[in-house]
Amino acid sequence: MNRLRLTVCLGCLLLLTSCFKDEPLNSEADIQRVAVDIDQPLSVFFALTDSAQDIASTDSAIVFNVRSKADLTSLAPTFKLTPGASISPASGSVHDFSQGSVSYDVTSQDGQWHRHYTVRFHPTIVTVKDTIRYDFEHFALNANGQKYYQWYELDDDGNRSEDWGTGNSGFNLSMGSALPNEYPTYPLADGHTGAGVALTTRSTGPFGEWVNRRIAAGNLFLGTFDLQQALVNTLHATKFGIPFTIRPVTFSGYYQYTPGKTYQDENGQTVSQREDKGAIYAVLYRNHDDAGNAVVLYGDDVKTSPLIVAIADMGDISTTNGWTAFSANFLYRKEIDNTLLQNRGYSLALVFSSSNEGDHFQGAIGSTLLIDEVQIVGTTQE
Amino acid sequence: MKTKILLLLLALSLTASAQRDDFWRDIDLTARTGYNIGGTAPIPMPASIRKLNSYTLQANASLGLTAEKHLSDKWGVQASLYFENKGMREDARVKNYHEAIVRGSERLEGQFTGDVETRVTQWMFTLPIEATFHLNNRLKLYTGPYLSWVVGKDFDGKAHNGYLRVGDPTGGKVELGNDPTTWGSYDFDDNMRNWQWGIDIGADWQTWKRTGLYAALKWGLSGVFQSDFHTIEQTLYPIYATVGLTYKLR
Repeated sequence: MNRLRLTVCLGCLLLLTSCFKDEPLNSEADIQRVAVDIDQPLSVFFALTDSAQDIASTDSAIVFNVRSKADLTSLAPTFKLTPGASISPASGSVHDFSQGSVSYDVTSQDGQWHRHYTVRFHPTIVTVKDTIRYDFEHFALNANGQKYYQWYELDDDGNRSEDWGTGNSGFNLSMGSALPNEYPTYPLADGHTGAGVALTTRSTGPFGEWVNRRIAAGNLFLGTFDLQQALVNTLHATKFGIPFTIRPVTFSGYYQYTPGKTYQDENGQTVSQREDKGAIYAVLYRNHDDAGNAVVLYGDDVKTSPLIVAIADMGDISTTNGWTAFSANFLYRKEIDNTLLQNRGYSLALVFSSSNEGDHFQGAIGSTLLIDEVQIVGTTQE
Repeated sequence: MKTKILLLLLALSLTASAQRDDFWRDIDLTARTGYNIGGTAPIPMPASIRKLNSYTLQANASLGLTAEKHLSDKWGVQASLYFENKGMREDARVKNYHEAIVRGSERLEGQFTGDVETRVTQWMFTLPIEATFHLNNRLKLYTGPYLSWVVGKDFDGKAHNGYLRVGDPTGGKVELGNDPTTWGSYDFDDNMRNWQWGIDIGADWQTWKRTGLYAALKWGLSGVFQSDFHTIEQTLYPIYATVGLTYKLR
């Protein structure tokens, strides 16, 4: 009996196994990593770690920030692609990047899928301004899908600089049916001056409930959102901060805040007598550790990392009556190293959230934080 | 549908003729208890399914009663009624496999590379009507169509330990992990069919007095899902072998 059962069992497995076909060719067409090998990297880049970067699956405009005097006339970026994919022009081919971006096309191994990329070297001028303004007038629907808004700045050449991150691409996973203005972060047509930005804590619907992430706070931050980590390591999906070359003194702007009606904990249970609060803060940190490794702060260490140099925090944001001015001073924990500052060795994260416990999926659906006319006043040189 | 009607007529005619006493004289009755092993799988297997990581045996009991009418020394016809489960639990490695996760009105769809676990439970009443052929006193072969009425249905699973490309292979890449908050699970119970049909082929071996062994293969020719269900691209067919004991009642 047992032997027969075993035989039949093995027979079935054999039947199943023998049905497996040859492995299909890859369909993905990604640039996974770009590196620029040159003899004296520090003549072009601010740090050795700047000469290579991992490319997120959602990115197709690759930018290297380089020294203003760097020679960009003959550079040969090399690409790590999805296995089997091909790129044209070839990886390692020499191009003149001094005249703007160079286009690359990647074709998947099976030949069925294509992705278009641009690579640009952006000579960064060390700013002499002592005030940086963010007015949120530049936003557009995401290129791949047109589902949600993204905010960007224009650099001195008039190119788009993807300085702002939001969790909108993560929200898209749970609520694919939402309209652009139903996302947690969306433009406010009538801001304090011109357009502003609106952040609203949203329900993530049946999908969110199912993975125990019932709400998505509206958020906007200097940095990038890494969709790849959105489910497996949510707090690491928010990569806070972009290199910043002035010594910030104050962080100010205008906001309005309306908390949602019902506060809920991470299990979706109503917490009575608790009012939701918004968050507005700025963190300046050293973007390399002592060993020279590039560092970015995440949701779990943006306020606790030992690399933090200064924080300007508005604390709990409560109900306002119309547009309200805010201003917070940067409280320094360490002295600024001016050489490091000029070499893009510090990153600044500005963080806005409609629910300050949103990173733990707690808050009130409907809590809304409106933001406009943000500015950083700093001292460039001692 | 035609097959269903035909089967029904056959069953009715058997019952009708069974009322005649002389008809009963040479009817054999056999009770069966067995175990189903097999899978609910696409035929042929698409190239996107790469490897079987694990296969777990399920509570696939099969209880049956067979009535056989001898037509000659060698030939006969039999009808059976089974109550059985065609369950399955397997985990397979997939590459660029179309996956859709549906929750309420929301849908997340894309190409998944990673592991997919599938759990299927299908408790059903199965009625095969078959031709029999006796090789000798001990060994009997039989084949014929069967019709199943599925009364207990479960089809769920999860995509885990891999990544999803949202929409198509060039879409955003999202990693799926190995715990309930980071994997994508799905549940398609409501989309399963109530009726299945297919072909049964088997053999009974009378080993000792009234008891014997039997082995049969039920090859499903209808998918387990309703025809308007396209979330899983391939049609999944239930293909199960049964092994067990027979006991000749008369």
